[in-house]
Amino acid sequence: MKKRMMKRFAVVSLTIITVFTMASCGREESGANLITTEEEKKEVVNLFGPMEKSDPDAENVARNATDRTIIMAEEKLDITVEYKTYTAENYQEKTYDDVTLERARNQMDDLYLLNPDTIQILGEEGELLDLSGLDNAKNLREVAKTANTVDGKLVAIPQEVVAYGLFLNKDLFDQYDLPLPETPEDFLECCRVFQENGIETPVGANRWWLENFVFAQAYADLYNGGNTETEIAALNAGERKYSDYMRPGFEFLEELIEKGYVDAKAAYTYEAIDGERADFLAQKTPIVMAYWGAANTDTAYGDPDFELQVIGFPSKRGPMPVVSMTGYGIGTEAEHLEDAKNLLNEMLSDEALQIYTETNKVISPSQNVEVDCIPALKPLNDKIKENVYVLGSNAGMKMEQWGNTCLLVRELLNGATVDECMAKLDKLQEESLKK
Amino acid sequence: MKKQQNKGRQNKDKVLLFSIITVFCLLGAFVFTMSRKISAEMSSSAIQNLSESLELMKGTIEAILRKEAEFQKLMAQEIAVLPDPVEFVRSYQKSQSIVKVSLIMEGETQGVSNEGDVFSQEELDFSSGKTVDGLPISESYVNYMGTWAYTIQCPVVKDNRQIASLYVEYVYDSFEKSLPDGFYNGTARLYIMDAKSERLVLKPKGMGERDAGHLNLEDFYRANKILEEKLIEEVSACVENGDNILFYHDIRGKRALNYMWSVNDGSIFLIGFVPVEAIQQEGTSVNQNMFTVVFVMLAAFFLCCLLYYFNQREQKKIQKEQEEEREVHNKQLAEALQAAQIASNSKTMFLSNMSHDIRTPMNAVLGFTTLLASDAENPAKVREYTKKIMASGQHLLSLINDILDVSKIESGKVVLNFEVITLNDLVSSVDSIIRPMANAKEQKFHVRVTGIHHEYLMGDETRLNQIIINLLSNAVKYTQERGNIWFRIIGLKQRSGQYEHIRIEVEDDGYGMTPEYLETIFDAFTRAENSTTNKVQGTGLGMAITKSIVELMGGTIQVFSEVGKGSLFRVELEFRIPEGHMNEKFWEDSGISRILVLDSDVESGKNIQSLMKNSNVLVETSPGLTEDMEWMAGDEEKSFGYQLILFGWNSEDGQNLQKVKKLRETVPDTVPILFLAAYDEEGVQSALEMEGTGILTKPFFESALREKLLEMQAWQQEEKESEREDSLKGFHFLAAEDNEINAEILAEILKLEGATCEIVENGQLAVERFTQAKEGEFDAILMDVQMPVLNGYDATRAIRALDSKEARQIPIIAMTANAFAEDEKEALQAGMNLHLSKPIDITLLKKVIQEVL
Repeated sequence: MKKRMMKRFAVVSLTIITVFTMASCGREESGANLITTEEEKKEVVNLFGPMEKSDPDAENVARNATDRTIIMAEEKLDITVEYKTYTAENYQEKTYDDVTLERARNQMDDLYLLNPDTIQILGEEGELLDLSGLDNAKNLREVAKTANTVDGKLVAIPQEVVAYGLFLNKDLFDQYDLPLPETPEDFLECCRVFQENGIETPVGANRWWLENFVFAQAYADLYNGGNTETEIAALNAGERKYSDYMRPGFEFLEELIEKGYVDAKAAYTYEAIDGERADFLAQKTPIVMAYWGAANTDTAYGDPDFELQVIGFPSKRGPMPVVSMTGYGIGTEAEHLEDAKNLLNEMLSDEALQIYTETNKVISPSQNVEVDCIPALKPLNDKIKENVYVLGSNAGMKMEQWGNTCLLVRELLNGATVDECMAKLDKLQEESLKK
Repeated sequence: MKKQQNKGRQNKDKVLLFSIITVFCLLGAFVFTMSRKISAEMSSSAIQNLSESLELMKGTIEAILRKEAEFQKLMAQEIAVLPDPVEFVRSYQKSQSIVKVSLIMEGETQGVSNEGDVFSQEELDFSSGKTVDGLPISESYVNYMGTWAYTIQCPVVKDNRQIASLYVEYVYDSFEKSLPDGFYNGTARLYIMDAKSERLVLKPKGMGERDAGHLNLEDFYRANKILEEKLIEEVSACVENGDNILFYHDIRGKRALNYMWSVNDGSIFLIGFVPVEAIQQEGTSVNQNMFTVVFVMLAAFFLCCLLYYFNQREQKKIQKEQEEEREVHNKQLAEALQAAQIASNSKTMFLSNMSHDIRTPMNAVLGFTTLLASDAENPAKVREYTKKIMASGQHLLSLINDILDVSKIESGKVVLNFEVITLNDLVSSVDSIIRPMANAKEQKFHVRVTGIHHEYLMGDETRLNQIIINLLSNAVKYTQERGNIWFRIIGLKQRSGQYEHIRIEVEDDGYGMTPEYLETIFDAFTRAENSTTNKVQGTGLGMAITKSIVELMGGTIQVFSEVGKGSLFRVELEFRIPEGHMNEKFWEDSGISRILVLDSDVESGKNIQSLMKNSNVLVETSPGLTEDMEWMAGDEEKSFGYQLILFGWNSEDGQNLQKVKKLRETVPDTVPILFLAAYDEEGVQSALEMEGTGILTKPFFESALREKLLEMQAWQQEEKESEREDSLKGFHFLAAEDNEINAEILAEILKLEGATCEIVENGQLAVERFTQAKEGEFDAILMDVQMPVLNGYDATRAIRALDSKEARQIPIIAMTANAFAEDEKEALQAGMNLHLSKPIDITLLKKVIQEVL
C-alpha cells in the first residue's frame, strides 16, 4: 500500500517536473517584431481638485471618499481619471479658487471640484455645463439644487451637503454652568463668562469660516420666513440691499473682535482648522466653527478628550446651520465632455453616494441616501431635518455670497470698519447688477 | 563481532550523512553567494538603468528648453526687424507650449502681451540667475491659466543694440508628452520640482498624481516620512548646487531608491522614488528562477534518493527473503537428507530385520521339514512338526502381507472397500482374536462400547479391523503379563446427522514409549526396539500402516504414552450411516416389546437403552436383582410384561448363578434370559445349562441380540446341520491350477476331507472341461486366477456365459495368491461366488463351500 503510494508520488512529481520543463522550453517568439505590447487606448477624464497636505505613509486620505466613488466609476465605465491638483502653500499664493477660475476659463480640464463662490462665478460666466440632464440629478434634494442653480441651469452637483456649525466643548460650558447659545446675545454672554474665567479668546477662528456668523444672522429670516424667492428676487433686482441683511452680522463680528473674543490677527492668517485646532483640542478654546465632516475626521475634531457638541450659528431664530456646498462642474468645452458627464453621473449614483456618505459620515445630497450621524452632530442634524438652515452660498443670488463675504470678513479682521465693509458690499451688489 | 560490524556501518553512515550535509551546505552557500552576486549586479545595473532613464529625461527636457530658447531667439531676431513689434506680440496666437508672449521696449517698465493686458517684469522672478542657452529663465509660477509655467527672457537686438526684451511664457504641462508613460510599471514616482520654490510643478499622468505628498519638497518629505535632518540637509545642498542625488529610503514600509535629478543646471529637478523591488525585479526574477531550478533539482535529487532508498530496501528485502527461502530450503534439504538417511538406515535395518524375520520362520519350516522327513514314521512327531511348520508359515504369511500392504499404501494403490459394517461383528471378531492373545499373557482385556447411536455403519471393515487389531496386538505385545488392555469404542457428538463420529481407544498399562520414539512411531520401518534383541516379534510396519489407513479414512490418530505407565492410542473416525438397513419389523415379528435389563453396571444399562432407542422396544433397567425379584414375586405370569431379560453377569459377584436360577424359576420359561458376559466368564457355562438361557457377549449390540435370539430359535436345527457342514464328503470339484505343487496339495487336502477333484492346468481347459461335463458332475469350481492361456477371471466369465442353467449357478471359488480387497472385488465382478486367498485354509474352504452350496 505504502509502496504503491510512493510510486504514485514519484510519477506525479516527475510529471510536474516534465510539464514545467516543457512549458519553459516550448515558448516561441512570434514574428520578427520584438515589440509585443500594444498601445493601450483608454478614455481619459481630467479632474481638477485640491490636494490637501497629508500625513506620512498615506494615500490621499482626505479625498478617500471621493476616490472610492471615482474608482467605482472608472471600473464601471472603463475610463481613467487623471488628477490635476493645486493647493496654495500659503495665503500669499494664489488661492485654489483663483486657480480653479483660471483653469476653468481656459478649459484646461474636464471636471472641476468647485467651491460655492466659483460655482456662482463660473455659472454666470457660462463656463459650466447644465447638469440637470444627468440621470442621477433627479435624486437630488431641493437644497442641493437651489444652491447650485444659476440662471435656471444646474451648473454643479455636490457629493455632500456641507453644513457648518459651532463646535462646542460641552464640558467647559457645563463647567461654567452655561447653556448652549442660541441667539447672538446668548453667545456674547457665554464669551463674557469664559473670558472672565480666564479664557482670553473663547472663539477659535480662521480666515475662512467667520462669515458663517454673518450668514446665520443675515439670512435666518430670508430662508426660514416663507418669502425666500421674493426676497432673493428683490435682491437680484437691486430693490433690497445685501448690506441691510448683513450689517448685524458684521457688527456682531466687530463686537467679538473688539471684546477680544476673537483674535483677529491670528484669524486673518489661519488656514481652516490648521490654526485653531490645537487650542480647541487642548481645551483652551471652547468654541470653534467647522463643517459637519470635521466631527468625524481624526485629522480635524474626531475623537476629542471632551464632550463635543455641534450646534447652529446663533440667530434671532435660534441656532442656524449654514449650508454650503462644494460641487462638481463640467466645463462647457471640456475635451472629454461625454466621458466627464458619464463619470459624474456615476459618481452621483445612489450606490456611489452611499459609499461616500458612509465613508465620511455626512449628509447626502441624494434624497435616497441617509446615514446615521454621531451624537455630537445630532442638534445640527435635527435642524437640517426640520429644514431649518441658511445657505452660505446660493448660485441663484446674482451677487456671489460665500467668496465675497469671506473677503469682506477678512477686511474686517484686517481692521476695516463695518461701514467700510458695507460700502464695499453695496458696490459688489451694484457690479453684480450690471452683469 | 556483529556488534563491531554494526558500529562500523553506523560510523560509515554518519560519515556519509555528514558528507551529504557538507555538500548541501556548500551548494547552499554557493547558491546564496551567486544569488547575492546576481542581486548586487542586477541592482547596480538597475541603478545604472535608472540613472540612464533619468539622464534621458533630463536630456529631453533640456533639449525642449534649448529649442524653446533657440525659437525665442529667432523670434527676437524677427521682432527686431519688424516695423511694429508691439503689434506682432499682440497678435501672436498662443500654442500648447507657448501660452503667453510679452514685450517690454527698452527703457520702459511695462510692456504688452498677446493676452492684451499690461505686462511688467516685476511679476516674474529671475533672481535665481539660471539660464537656458544663455537666456535667463524665471522661477516657476502659476500662470493666468492656473497652471505651472516659466518665462524665458530674450533681448531683442537691432543693430547691435538691445531695443526690447521678449518674454515668452511656457507651461510645464508641455513636458508631459515627452516623458515616459508610467515609470517602472507604474510603481515609481516622478515629479518635476522647481528648484528655487521647491514646488512640484508637474505631476505627470500615472506617476503618483493621486498620491499624497506632491505639493512641494517639504510635503514630499512629510508624506514619505523622510525626516532625517542630515539627509534633508544633504539633499538641500545638492538642490542648491544643482547636483544629482540618489539615496535609499523606505517609502511606505518598502525599501526605495529616491532620486533628485538636476535638469538645466539645477533650475528644475526630476524628483521621485523607485521601489527597490521594482528595480531588482529582474534580479529577483532571476534569483527566483535560480531557486526554482535549485529546488527542482533538489527535489529531483531527493526523489532519486528516495527511489534509490526504496529500491535498495526492496532489494534487501528480496535478498533477505531469498536468504530465508534458501535457509528454509537448505533446512528442508538437510531434513530431507536426514529423513532419507534415517529412512535408508531404517530400510537397511528393516531389511536386516526382515531378513532375520523371514529367515527365522523359513528356517523353522525347512528345519522341521527335514525333521519331518526323518521322523515320518512317528505320527506324534509328524503332527507336532506340521503344527510348528504351520505356525511358522502363518507368521511368514503375515509378514509378507504386511510388506505388501506397506508397499501398496505407499504407492497409493489402496482403495477402500465401503460396505456395511456391523459394530457387533467388528467387536466380536476383534475380541475373538485379541482375547486369546491376552489370555495367553494372562492380561485382562476390557471391551467397552458407549454412546453409540448407530451400530450399522458404512466403511471398510477389513481395514478398520486391521487398524484395531494392529493397535490391540501391539498393546498385547508391549504389555507385560497380567497387564490390562482396554478397548473402547465411544460415540462422539455427531457433526452431521448422516455421520456417526466414533472414537476408538486402545489403552494399556504396559511398557510405554519414550518421547523420542513417539515422534517416529508412525514412520515405516521403525520399531520400539530392535527385534533381533527383543523377544517381541513384528515387522515394524504396523503403526505406519495403521496411520496411513486412518488418514485414508479421513480420520486422525493420536498417541499418548509414558515409559513404564502405558500407552493410549486414540483414533477418531467418521462413518456414514447407511439408510434403511435395519429390519424394523424384527422386534414386532419376534413379539418383543419390553426388555428388562438387570445389571449393577448402570452405564451398561444406559448404553443398551441408547442402542435400542430406534427399535420401538421399551428397555427398562434395574441395578439390583433382589429388589427386582421381590417386585416380580408379587405377580404371576399374566402380569409379567417382559418378553426378554438381559442379565448383567457381574464377574465380581459370586451369587450370579444363584440369582439366575432364582430368576429362571420366577420368570416364565417362554421368556428367555440372556447373560451379558464375556465368553470366559466363570460360572456362565453352568448357568447356560438352564432352559431358555443364552449368553450375549459383552459389549451389547442390538444386532448381536437379534442374532442371538434367532440363533436360540433355530438352535436345534443348526446343531443337526452342523455335522454336515463340517464335511466335504462326496463332493467333486473342478480345480483350475497351473502350479503342480499347489494342485497336488489341493488334491490331497480335498482327499483328506473325502472330496475329489479334477485338476486342469489353465482357465481354457477348465472352460472346456466344464462344457464337456455332465450336468451335476461338479459341485463347484475352484479357480486359480493367474494362469497361462486364460486367467481365472476370463475363464469364469466364459463359464458364466455358457448357455446352461448349471453354468450360471455353479459355485466358482477363486483361489489366488492375490489377497487384496481389489482382487476379491474383481473376482466377484467376474462372476465368482467367493474369494479365498492362498495357501488354502481347509476349514475356511469347508465353511465357504457349505455357504455357497
